[in-house]
This record gives sequence, C-alpha cells and structure tokens, in this order.
Amino acid sequence: MPKLTIDNLEVTVPEGTNVLEAARELDIVIPHFCYHEALGAVGSCRLCAMMFVDGPVTGLQMACMVEAQDGMVVSSTDPDAIELREHVIEWAMTNHPHDCPVCDEGGECQLQEMTVAGGHGVRRYNGKKCTFTNQDLGPFVQQEMNRCITCYRCVRTYRDYCGGTDYGVFGSRNRIQYGRFQEGTLESPFSGNIIDACPTGVLTSKPFRFKTRLWDLQEAPSICPHCSLGCATIPGGRYREVQRVKAGINRETHGFFICDRGRFGYDHVNHQERPRQARVDGQPVAVAAALTAARERVAGMAREHGPNSIAFLGSSRASFEGSVLLRDWAAATGSQQLVYEAHQGRDHAARTLAARLGEHGRSLEDLRQSDLIVLFGADPLAEGPMLALAIRQAVRNGGKVIVIDPRPVELPCAASHLPLAMERLTDVLTALAQKDLHAFDNHEHAFLENLSEQFDSAQRPVLIGGADLLGGKGVDALCSTAAQLSSAECAVGVMTMLAGPNSYGGALLAGDGPDFDTILDAIQEGTIRALVCLESDPFREAMDPSRAQAALGHLELLVSFDATPGLAAQRADIFLPTRANAEMAGSYMNNEGRLQAFQAVIDPGLPISETGAGNHPPREFFQTTPGSAPEADWWLLAELLERDTTLAALRKTIEQSDECFVGLSAIDAESTGLRFSAQGSLPPAAEQDLLQTGVTDALKLLAITGPVGSHWLAHLSSPLAATQPKPYVVLHPEQAEKLGLSAGDRARLTTHFGHCHVVIRTDEKMVNGLILAPQLWDTALEGMVPGSMLDCQLEKEGKA
Amino acid sequence: MNFWRDIKGTLQPFWITLGYLFKKPVTIQYPEEKRTPPPRYRARIVLTRNPDGSERCVACQLCSAACPVDCISMQAAEAEDGRRYAAWFRINFARCIFCGLCAEACPTMAIQTTPDYEICNRDVLKLVQEKEDLLIDGCGKDDEYNYYEHSGVGVANERGGNEDEYGPVDPKALLP
Repeated sequence: MPKLTIDNLEVTVPEGTNVLEAARELDIVIPHFCYHEALGAVGSCRLCAMMFVDGPVTGLQMACMVEAQDGMVVSSTDPDAIELREHVIEWAMTNHPHDCPVCDEGGECQLQEMTVAGGHGVRRYNGKKCTFTNQDLGPFVQQEMNRCITCYRCVRTYRDYCGGTDYGVFGSRNRIQYGRFQEGTLESPFSGNIIDACPTGVLTSKPFRFKTRLWDLQEAPSICPHCSLGCATIPGGRYREVQRVKAGINRETHGFFICDRGRFGYDHVNHQERPRQARVDGQPVAVAAALTAARERVAGMAREHGPNSIAFLGSSRASFEGSVLLRDWAAATGSQQLVYEAHQGRDHAARTLAARLGEHGRSLEDLRQSDLIVLFGADPLAEGPMLALAIRQAVRNGGKVIVIDPRPVELPCAASHLPLAMERLTDVLTALAQKDLHAFDNHEHAFLENLSEQFDSAQRPVLIGGADLLGGKGVDALCSTAAQLSSAECAVGVMTMLAGPNSYGGALLAGDGPDFDTILDAIQEGTIRALVCLESDPFREAMDPSRAQAALGHLELLVSFDATPGLAAQRADIFLPTRANAEMAGSYMNNEGRLQAFQAVIDPGLPISETGAGNHPPREFFQTTPGSAPEADWWLLAELLERDTTLAALRKTIEQSDECFVGLSAIDAESTGLRFSAQGSLPPAAEQDLLQTGVTDALKLLAITGPVGSHWLAHLSSPLAATQPKPYVVLHPEQAEKLGLSAGDRARLTTHFGHCHVVIRTDEKMVNGLILAPQLWDTALEGMVPGSMLDCQLEKEGKA
Repeated sequence: MNFWRDIKGTLQPFWITLGYLFKKPVTIQYPEEKRTPPPRYRARIVLTRNPDGSERCVACQLCSAACPVDCISMQAAEAEDGRRYAAWFRINFARCIFCGLCAEACPTMAIQTTPDYEICNRDVLKLVQEKEDLLIDGCGKDDEYNYYEHSGVGVANERGGNEDEYGPVDPKALLP
C-alpha cells in the first residue's frame, strides 16, 4: 500500500492505483479528458499534468500514467503544471468550430469547463482550422467531428469495453477521424454509451437532438424499467416529457454504462395513447370516485360470491411498495388468488429463484470478476443486454464463457456454444451436478466433459439461467446444481434473468399462491368473477394469449391500474391511471434480490409538444395541468386501503409488518441498493409441460424474446422503433434446406394465431429441428410470448 | 440656536419651490408629447434577422438561462439544412424587468432591446408574446454579423467552407 503526499496531504492507496485516482481520494480535482474509471488511463489528452516534486519519479508528468508509489510528493498547483494545462487547452481549441450555441453538449461539456477553468479566453492562433466530414451513424448517435479533441474515449468505450467492431479511429496527425469505415448504423447494442463517454459534443444523442439544455432538464436518480437487472439511470425531462436517459453509476450492478434499450426506451412515458383519465364503466370520472368504485365493487363481489371470487394480478413493472399493497388488499379482501406474473414459466422461475437463491446470488460486479460463466437458456442481448456487457468484462479479465442454449446466442465476446433442445437443459444441469454424462452422445459428451473439468478448476464460477426457457423446474435444477457443485473453497454463483424490474420482489410476495394459468381456469369455470390487474396486461402477457383472451371474456369485473395503453387498460370496467417509473418515487427488486430506490423525475401531464401541437404552448391558462391525473401505484392502493399515503410512512409500515424488509425506509436512490435475506416460497408444483402436443409431425416453433425493441415498454418508445426488424424466423440451415428454404426467402408461417409473412434467417449455431420466432409487437408475431412452444407450418413464398 | 435653525428649515423649502415657479418645467405631457429615448435604451425585446434575411436566433437557451425572472421560454428544432432554430419562442413581458441580460447573453445578436417602451396593456395575454410578435425585419444594432458564417458546422457555407477553415480532410489519405 503506497503512501504518497499530494498538495501537502498524505494518502495511502491500494497497489496499482495511479496518481490521478489517488488525488481523487483526497477530493483534489485534476482536470482530465481521456481518463475514465471504467476505461482506465491512456495519457492521450495531456491535461492531467502534475509536478512530481520528490520521490521515485520527478518532474512534470501525466498523473494518470504514473502509478502511485511510496514517498511520492506531488503538487497539482505547481505553476509549471498549470501553465502546461493552459497550453493544452489552447491546443485543443485551435481547431474547435466555436459552435457552442448550437451544440447539444453545451452546459455539460468538459471541454467547455476546462477551457473556462484553464483561463483560455482570447484566441491567439490566427491560422485556419482543420475540418472533417461527418458520418450518419444511425438513429441514435449524431456526429460532429469538428469538435473532436482526440481523447480516444469513444473508441475505448465502443470497441474495448462494449465489444463493438464497426467503429474505430482513422488517419494520422491532425487528420484523426473517429467513425465507421463506411457510413452506416452503429451495430453494437451499447452504441449510446459513446454519447456519455465523449467529453465534448462530437457524439450526441440523436433522439435528444436540440431538445433541451442540461440546465433546463429535470433529472433524478432512477432505475431502468426494461429488464430485471436494475441498472441505475438518470432520466431527464422537460416540458412534461421525458427526453433522455443517461447512465447512472452503480458499481455493484451495471457499473457506468447502460444498453441502448435502457437509454432510448424512455418514450413510453410520453406515449400519445397513454391513458391518463380514470374511468368507471367507460365514463371518465375523478380518481377518488374510481377508487371508491373499485373498493366497493371488489368488497361487494367478496360479500356476494366469497372472497376467492376475486383474483389479484400484480406485475414485474409495478413498484415494490405497490406490490406489497396489492398483497395487503388481497389479504384485506380475504382472497388467496394473488399472483405477480401472468406468464406461467416466468412466474415459476421467479418464485423458485426467490425461494432458493440464498447465498448463491451474484451481482453483475461479481460476474465481471468471475472466471467461468455458463449460460443455460439465457440470451443476454435479448433479455438484459447489460448482462452481456458484464460477461464481456469477465472475458477481458481472463474468464471463460460457455453457452448451452437452443438459440444462436450472440455475445460481444468469445464463447463456446452447445446447441441443445430446450427440454434437455434441465437434464444437462442434473447430469453436471451428478457428474454423470452417459446420457449424452459423442459431441455433446465431449463438450460437457470439458465443462465439468473447467468447473473443477474454476475459482468463481457463475451459472446463468433465463426464466423464459428454464421455467420453474429449470431454475430449481440450476440452484440445485450450483449447490452440489459448490465446495468449501469455491462457491458457485447463480444469476437468472427474470421478466421485469420487480419480478423478484413480486415473487417474494407471491407466497405459495396459485399461478395465473390456474386462475384462468377458474375464470373460465366461473368461480373467479373479478380480476384486479396492477400494471399488467394478462391479455398479452399470459403464456397463451389466445386462451387468456377467451377466459378473460368471462369476467364480471376487471379493474386495471396502468400507465400504458394495454388491452387490460382499454377493456377495464374500472380504470385507474398510474404514473410511469420516471414520474414516481418507489423501488424495484432486481434479479439478485437487490432492492433499489428511484425518485420522481417529472410530474405527469400531457407533454407541451402535444398540447401545443409542436408550436408554442396554448395561450390559455388552467388551474390544473392537463393529463396530470395519474398517481403512483402505491399512492392509489394506499388511498384505496385508507392508509397513510406518504412513501416514508408506507415503507415504515412494510418494515414493521415484515421483519425481512428491515432497512427499506433507509434506502437511498443514489446508493448501491440493499440485498435482503428474505426468502420466498416455491410455486405450486404443477407446471404445465412447455410443449403443447398437437399434430406430431408439425414443425415446432419456439417463441423467443426479440432483439432490442421487443419488450412492451420498449415497443412504446418511438426512438427504438428504428431498430425493430421485419417479422422473421430463424432456422438451422439443414432444416431450412429440408423445407426448401434459404436465408432471405419470404415464407408464410401458420400457427394457431393464423397466417403471417416472415423472412427466413438461418443460423448454424442453433439447435436443428426448431423454428425460432421473436416476439415483435404490432406485427403478426405479437402473440409469440417468449418461452412458449407452438406447432407451426412454414411454406415458401418467394425470394426477398 | 435650534430656534433659528428651525426657522430656516421651514422657510428655505418654500423659497426653493418659489424659485422653480419661474423656471421651464422638465416634465412633458405624455402621451400627447413623447420623448425619444437613447438608442441603447432597454425596452421592448425583439428578435432580429441575419443580413441575408434568415432568422438569427439559434434557440441556444442562453437568454432564458440568463433571465433573472424566467420570462423567456422556447423550444429548439432542426431545419432540413441542419440549422438550429426556435420552433417557438415566447417572452412574457408581464414578467420582464427589462434588465437586458438576455441581449448581453445572446451569442448571435438575435435578441436585442429596443427603445420602444410603450408596452402596457390591460390584457395580460397580450403581454405574452410569441415568435411572430417578436421577430422584426432587420438586423438591429449589428447589420453584419451572421453566426453561421463563423461557426464551423457547415450550415451557411459548405463544411470547411468558412473563411477561417481548410476544406474537410481525408482521413484515409496515406500522404504524410
């Protein structure tokens, strides 16, 4: 542990720390462009110069390039160091286009700050400026190369950290250009990070272009609602709309970067069709009246037909506090029919995980430090892209990645892949745990033998599962395998990708209640007559939407609380508008059981861009903001249950009633979150077989999560629409050949939903004999709920 | 002694007032008579145009940031040629204190104060003025400056076509 003196203050830092980081420990700010905690130091900007007065290194040095050593005496205020910094800024500004008024970085530009801080106010260089041609980098990133100071941060982020290959640096001396070899859309699903990384305005957000200045943005720490990983984000809003999302920092989970789905998937908050008005029987009413109606009708139903005639359906999108109150409402009614996920497989997976994870839980930070990662039925880029980025960091640190999946799982790093049918994933897990691989043939045997050997030598292995493909039984096998492979020296970790930001929280609260398919049967039979949906849309999210829609038609009373224009919201007898995640405070529990709080960014209301139709706001004044009726889900439920409606009081009550949630009221939105030791209960044993047996010789189709843009909230976000592909199915080339199809062909896909037109894609890495169809909203593939297996037919229609 | 001082203090103001009776008055009969304020007087705020007639405002929000009473609001937008402009621009003169900080902050000389001080109105909404009310057909105090001629983003001229710029470089060139 070297001990050094910076500006007359002594500091002891860990081995390997550079002087810039050591200075930061002392809260001494050293100006810099190219250094970034996640990217490391390269010493290319020359701004962090410090004077090394005494010790093993002396003279004017770049602080980020010198490792802290014992006995160093360093000065950040030395006149020589200050003068050098002034000159460096002046050089950086020689070719600058002086366009701050039209630059989106203005207000949060490091170059601007350093120029002011460096005192460079008068331009001495009278020569001409170098200029560059810009590239169109697709729908997310806007480039203005003239502003570049060649710090290399974008390339280090895009290529090194995120594993993108289509963005780089070209040229020499003053002709350095960053971009693609040929103009085109950036391919990486993490491309938005170069916007955050760029210290000037070279790379700015295209959807946010010219929208708002930083100083006008309302910002607050939040949690991304798009997947179960719970990345910290900082949404920014103005004029009653959320306009951008920037990565927050949580060293335990995602680190410093977020995926494009999280970054550009904010627009569901501003969606034009979002229901903002409470309704009872189709008539607009005040929120209070709708709450009274909901309370009375549910109570009336309980009196008339018994408490179990009402079912309560929560959601992975609802806040943890709201989910607790839903449980309390069910308890107050006396109903046992409480479930937090409409999708049976995801529900079972989440509940099994909440019951069995225990000591095996691993954070993304643990994953980055892992030396062996095995993915069973998890497709990180589709189900939670930041998981893929964490896996990449593990590989960069020397770890190995093995994928066992029927799908052709793409990762931004090297991985070995064993295509295996979905129903055999559990067998592999059991076989690995028992070290008995005789059931597998040559190729598979060799692969698994090798995997088994790697387990023996691994220090920090982690098993990753996906809820969609594994279901409850698979997750159970995953946890059992981890337990059996763990030894005193080496604990095997588990991480499972769940459906949404609060899947784990919902699973903890669900207890051993029935799953939604059982509830659907009861609705069909008429024993359940009323359904309360908290931010869920069973019409679309149930494992078999057509069956759900048929059953839900029998309901006498449908109460829906929602912030999105879902089918449940449209068809509800009593509808209550809730606030979107960016409009409320609350908390989510991510897939490792980490509870993270978020704060409200903006208040709900119709965006001014909408009320003014693109022009100035209307020239009228109202007492209330139009469209401001939505309230937080927990507020509505607390009001309905006649409880105290402040979040602090609510969290206190939860702490008092459930010992396992002690610490909830102290949770801070900017902290790394809190992992509770709470354990859930296992789901009811009966789980439907995933394979729907129909015609035996029919082709089997596996519905999967599509690429970025196929989640419900993401689908409602217009910036992501550009990334939505045309309907397609993926086949193994051998099977395609058997069906007389080749890549790029157009085909007609027939399922029990009807016909639709798809484009054929082929991939050698997937299992043979299966057709993969992604769920794509607003297309014919909308009903492809991930994890469900369908019979289908595929006929060729022509060349694309 | 105080007695004499009080007598003086009582009579002197009357004497001075009497003296003013025989001087020319400084007040004028507004609104029949009007005084011309100096050219740099800070009254009605206008949005000026470039010498070529295009809108000068680039909606950079610096005026609204500088405004101590928050009476300026706007929304920036992008034109087809990449020009940043104000989709709407609103000044609430009912709130404006005519401090002139907006004009001082403006990097493009778009927002300027004028000597037109007759803004009063009984209808507050008439004091809330939009871009079409604010925009004038002229350059105001500077009839030469065009911001896009000087900033290197390739809007007024081709990229690299400003006076102080080399044309765009070829990063793939092999020449030293």
